[in-house]
Amino acid sequence: MSEVELLLVNSGESCTMYTIQFLSDEQSEFEKFVAKFRQDAELNPDFQAIMRFVEQILSNGALERYFRREGKMNDSVVALPVLKSKLRLYCLRLTDKILILGNGDVKRSRTYEEDNTLQGYVMDLQKFERLLKQEVRAGNVEITEKEILTDKTFDV
Amino acid sequence: MRTANISLQEIFNEIPDEKREETRLSFAISNRLAFLMQERGLNKKQFAEALGKRPNEITRWLSGEHNFTISTLAMLSTFFGKSIINV
Repeated sequence: MSEVELLLVNSGESCTMYTIQFLSDEQSEFEKFVAKFRQDAELNPDFQAIMRFVEQILSNGALERYFRREGKMNDSVVALPVLKSKLRLYCLRLTDKILILGNGDVKRSRTYEEDNTLQGYVMDLQKFERLLKQEVRAGNVEITEKEILTDKTFDV
Repeated sequence: MRTANISLQEIFNEIPDEKREETRLSFAISNRLAFLMQERGLNKKQFAEALGKRPNEITRWLSGEHNFTISTLAMLSTFFGKSIINV
Protein backbone atom coordinates (compact mmCIF):
# COMPACT_ATOMS: atom_id res chain seq x y z
CA MET A 1 0.00 0.00 0.00
CA SER A 2 1.31 3.53 -0.86
CA GLU A 3 0.39 6.91 0.46
CA VAL A 4 -0.70 9.55 -2.06
CA GLU A 5 -1.04 13.31 -1.62
CA LEU A 6 -3.16 15.67 -3.73
CA LEU A 7 -1.23 18.76 -4.90
CA LEU A 8 -2.46 22.00 -6.48
CA VAL A 9 -0.99 22.72 -9.95
CA ASN A 10 -2.88 25.83 -11.04
CA SER A 11 -6.02 27.66 -10.08
CA GLY A 12 -7.89 29.74 -12.67
CA GLU A 13 -11.39 31.17 -12.93
CA SER A 14 -12.60 28.38 -15.22
CA CYS A 15 -10.59 25.41 -13.97
CA THR A 16 -8.55 24.26 -10.98
CA MET A 17 -5.87 21.72 -11.83
CA TYR A 18 -4.36 19.24 -9.40
CA THR A 19 -1.99 16.30 -9.57
CA ILE A 20 -1.19 13.40 -7.25
CA GLN A 21 2.14 12.43 -5.71
CA PHE A 22 3.10 9.12 -4.14
CA LEU A 23 4.91 10.02 -0.91
CA SER A 24 7.65 7.54 -1.81
CA ASP A 25 8.38 9.51 -5.04
CA GLU A 26 10.26 12.78 -5.47
CA GLN A 27 7.96 14.01 -8.24
CA SER A 28 4.23 14.19 -8.72
CA GLU A 29 2.66 12.13 -11.53
CA PHE A 30 2.25 15.17 -13.80
CA GLU A 31 5.84 16.32 -13.14
CA LYS A 32 7.04 12.87 -14.24
CA PHE A 33 5.10 13.25 -17.51
CA VAL A 34 6.59 16.70 -18.12
CA ALA A 35 10.13 15.54 -17.24
CA LYS A 36 9.90 12.67 -19.75
CA PHE A 37 8.90 14.70 -22.80
CA ARG A 38 9.79 18.38 -22.28
CA GLN A 39 13.29 17.93 -23.77
CA ASP A 40 12.56 14.98 -26.07
CA ALA A 41 13.37 16.14 -29.61
CA GLU A 42 11.14 13.56 -31.30
CA LEU A 43 8.13 13.75 -28.99
CA ASN A 44 8.28 17.41 -27.98
CA PRO A 45 5.79 18.50 -30.71
CA ASP A 46 3.21 16.03 -29.35
CA PHE A 47 4.01 17.11 -25.77
CA GLN A 48 3.63 20.79 -26.68
CA ALA A 49 0.32 20.07 -28.41
CA ILE A 50 -1.01 18.52 -25.19
CA MET A 51 0.25 21.50 -23.19
CA ARG A 52 -1.50 23.90 -25.62
CA PHE A 53 -4.75 22.06 -24.88
CA VAL A 54 -4.03 22.25 -21.13
CA GLU A 55 -3.57 26.02 -21.49
CA GLN A 56 -6.94 26.39 -23.24
CA ILE A 57 -8.67 24.11 -20.72
CA LEU A 58 -7.45 26.43 -17.96
CA SER A 59 -9.20 29.30 -19.76
CA ASN A 60 -12.32 27.48 -21.01
CA GLY A 61 -12.94 24.85 -18.33
CA ALA A 62 -12.51 21.07 -18.34
CA LEU A 63 -15.49 20.49 -20.63
CA GLU A 64 -16.22 16.87 -21.56
CA ARG A 65 -15.85 17.43 -25.29
CA TYR A 66 -12.19 18.54 -24.91
CA PHE A 67 -11.20 15.03 -23.74
CA ARG A 68 -10.97 11.47 -24.97
CA ARG A 69 -13.07 9.18 -22.79
CA GLU A 70 -10.90 6.44 -21.24
CA GLY A 71 -11.18 4.15 -18.23
CA LYS A 72 -14.52 2.51 -17.42
CA MET A 73 -18.11 3.73 -17.49
CA ASN A 74 -18.16 4.30 -13.71
CA ASP A 75 -14.99 6.39 -13.42
CA SER A 76 -13.86 9.86 -14.48
CA VAL A 77 -10.64 8.93 -16.32
CA VAL A 78 -10.09 10.89 -19.52
CA ALA A 79 -7.10 11.48 -21.78
CA LEU A 80 -5.56 14.18 -23.93
CA PRO A 81 -5.47 14.64 -26.81
CA VAL A 82 -8.72 13.70 -28.60
CA LEU A 83 -7.07 13.60 -32.02
CA LYS A 84 -4.23 11.37 -33.21
CA SER A 85 -0.99 11.72 -31.26
CA LYS A 86 2.04 9.68 -30.26
CA LEU A 87 1.40 10.59 -26.59
CA ARG A 88 -1.41 10.26 -24.07
CA LEU A 89 -1.82 12.24 -20.84
CA TYR A 90 -4.31 10.65 -18.43
CA CYS A 91 -6.45 12.80 -16.12
CA LEU A 92 -9.44 12.66 -13.81
CA ARG A 93 -12.18 15.07 -14.91
CA LEU A 94 -14.22 15.45 -11.74
CA THR A 95 -16.32 18.45 -12.83
CA ASP A 96 -16.26 21.04 -15.63
CA LYS A 97 -13.91 23.02 -13.37
CA ILE A 98 -11.82 20.37 -11.59
CA LEU A 99 -9.12 18.36 -13.37
CA ILE A 100 -6.51 16.08 -11.81
CA LEU A 101 -3.51 15.68 -14.13
CA GLY A 102 -1.88 12.26 -14.00
CA ASN A 103 0.98 10.65 -15.88
CA GLY A 104 1.14 9.55 -19.49
CA ASP A 105 3.42 8.04 -22.07
CA VAL A 106 3.88 7.01 -25.66
CA LYS A 107 0.81 5.30 -27.09
CA ARG A 108 2.15 2.05 -28.57
CA SER A 109 -0.95 -0.13 -28.52
CA ARG A 110 -4.51 0.27 -29.75
CA THR A 111 -5.96 0.45 -26.23
CA TYR A 112 -4.38 1.40 -22.89
CA GLU A 113 -5.29 -2.06 -21.51
CA GLU A 114 -2.80 -3.66 -23.91
CA ASP A 115 0.10 -1.64 -22.44
CA ASN A 116 1.14 -2.30 -18.83
CA THR A 117 2.62 1.18 -18.36
CA LEU A 118 -0.45 3.03 -19.62
CA GLN A 119 -2.79 0.70 -17.77
CA GLY A 120 -0.83 1.43 -14.56
CA TYR A 121 -1.37 5.18 -14.96
CA VAL A 122 -5.08 4.70 -15.56
CA MET A 123 -5.41 2.33 -12.59
CA ASP A 124 -3.61 4.79 -10.28
CA LEU A 125 -6.20 7.43 -11.18
CA GLN A 126 -9.10 4.99 -10.84
CA LYS A 127 -7.90 3.93 -7.36
CA PHE A 128 -7.38 7.53 -6.30
CA GLU A 129 -10.88 8.50 -7.44
CA ARG A 130 -12.44 5.62 -5.49
CA LEU A 131 -10.59 6.74 -2.32
CA LEU A 132 -11.47 10.38 -2.88
CA LYS A 133 -15.17 9.50 -3.18
CA GLN A 134 -14.98 7.34 -0.04
CA GLU A 135 -13.49 10.27 1.89
CA VAL A 136 -16.14 12.63 0.52
CA ARG A 137 -18.87 10.24 1.74
CA ALA A 138 -17.12 10.01 5.13
CA GLY A 139 -17.10 13.81 5.36
CA ASN A 140 -13.28 14.05 5.40
CA VAL A 141 -12.97 15.73 1.99
CA GLU A 142 -15.16 18.38 0.38
CA ILE A 143 -15.51 18.85 -3.37
CA THR A 144 -17.09 22.15 -4.42
CA GLU A 145 -17.86 23.17 -8.01
CA LYS A 146 -14.23 24.19 -8.60
CA GLU A 147 -12.14 23.01 -5.65
CA ILE A 148 -11.15 19.95 -3.68
CA LEU A 149 -10.75 20.84 -0.02
CA THR A 150 -8.42 18.45 1.79
CA ASP A 151 -5.04 18.22 3.49
CA LYS A 152 -5.11 14.49 4.05
CA THR A 153 -3.06 11.76 2.39
CA PHE A 154 -4.70 8.70 0.82
CA ASP A 155 -3.68 5.04 1.13
CA VAL A 156 -3.78 3.62 -2.39
CA MET B 1 -2.76 21.72 0.49
CA ARG B 2 0.76 21.87 -0.94
CA THR B 3 1.44 23.22 -4.43
CA ALA B 4 3.13 21.02 -7.05
CA ASN B 5 6.70 21.98 -7.88
CA ILE B 6 5.93 22.87 -11.50
CA SER B 7 5.05 26.07 -13.37
CA LEU B 8 2.54 25.62 -16.19
CA GLN B 9 3.23 29.16 -17.35
CA GLU B 10 6.93 28.37 -17.90
CA ILE B 11 5.95 25.37 -20.03
CA PHE B 12 3.40 27.44 -22.00
CA ASN B 13 6.07 30.10 -22.62
CA GLU B 14 8.30 27.50 -24.33
CA ILE B 15 5.61 26.95 -27.00
CA PRO B 16 5.80 29.15 -30.14
CA ASP B 17 3.24 31.97 -29.94
CA GLU B 18 1.69 31.11 -33.31
CA LYS B 19 0.99 27.51 -32.18
CA ARG B 20 -0.65 28.79 -28.96
CA GLU B 21 -2.75 31.21 -31.01
CA GLU B 22 -3.72 28.39 -33.42
CA THR B 23 -5.03 26.35 -30.47
CA ARG B 24 -6.81 29.36 -28.97
CA LEU B 25 -8.63 29.88 -32.29
CA SER B 26 -9.52 26.17 -32.58
CA PHE B 27 -11.04 26.20 -29.10
CA ALA B 28 -12.91 29.44 -29.83
CA ILE B 29 -14.39 27.96 -33.03
CA SER B 30 -15.37 24.74 -31.24
CA ASN B 31 -17.05 26.78 -28.50
CA ARG B 32 -18.95 28.83 -31.10
CA LEU B 33 -20.05 25.63 -32.82
CA ALA B 34 -21.21 24.07 -29.53
CA PHE B 35 -23.19 27.25 -28.79
CA LEU B 36 -24.88 27.24 -32.21
CA MET B 37 -25.74 23.53 -31.91
CA GLN B 38 -27.29 24.14 -28.49
CA GLU B 39 -29.18 27.16 -29.78
CA ARG B 40 -30.60 25.01 -32.62
CA GLY B 41 -31.35 22.15 -30.18
CA LEU B 42 -29.09 19.69 -32.00
CA ASN B 43 -27.12 16.93 -30.33
CA LYS B 44 -24.01 15.48 -31.95
CA LYS B 45 -25.88 12.67 -33.74
CA GLN B 46 -28.63 14.95 -35.08
CA PHE B 47 -26.07 17.52 -36.23
CA ALA B 48 -24.02 14.82 -38.01
CA GLU B 49 -27.14 13.51 -39.76
CA ALA B 50 -28.22 16.99 -40.82
CA LEU B 51 -24.82 17.58 -42.43
CA GLY B 52 -24.35 14.06 -43.82
CA LYS B 53 -21.27 13.56 -41.64
CA ARG B 54 -20.22 10.84 -39.22
CA PRO B 55 -20.60 11.62 -35.48
CA ASN B 56 -16.84 11.19 -34.93
CA GLU B 57 -16.25 14.10 -37.31
CA ILE B 58 -18.42 16.30 -35.05
CA THR B 59 -16.44 14.99 -32.03
CA ARG B 60 -13.26 16.21 -33.73
CA TRP B 61 -14.78 19.64 -34.48
CA LEU B 62 -15.92 20.06 -30.88
CA SER B 63 -12.63 18.89 -29.33
CA GLY B 64 -10.85 22.21 -29.75
CA GLU B 65 -8.07 20.42 -31.63
CA HIS B 66 -9.42 20.51 -35.18
CA ASN B 67 -7.76 22.60 -37.88
CA PHE B 68 -10.84 23.96 -39.71
CA THR B 69 -10.57 24.72 -43.41
CA ILE B 70 -12.23 27.79 -44.92
CA SER B 71 -14.56 25.47 -46.83
CA THR B 72 -15.75 23.76 -43.60
CA LEU B 73 -16.23 27.15 -41.92
CA ALA B 74 -18.23 28.37 -44.93
CA MET B 75 -20.39 25.22 -44.89
CA LEU B 76 -21.08 25.60 -41.12
CA SER B 77 -21.79 29.30 -41.43
CA THR B 78 -24.27 28.58 -44.24
CA PHE B 79 -25.94 25.77 -42.28
CA PHE B 80 -26.55 27.93 -39.21
CA GLY B 81 -27.16 31.15 -41.14
CA LYS B 82 -24.76 32.82 -38.73
CA SER B 83 -21.06 33.59 -38.81
CA ILE B 84 -18.65 31.17 -37.17
CA ILE B 85 -15.77 33.65 -37.19
CA ASN B 86 -15.70 37.40 -37.75
CA VAL B 87 -13.08 38.81 -40.11
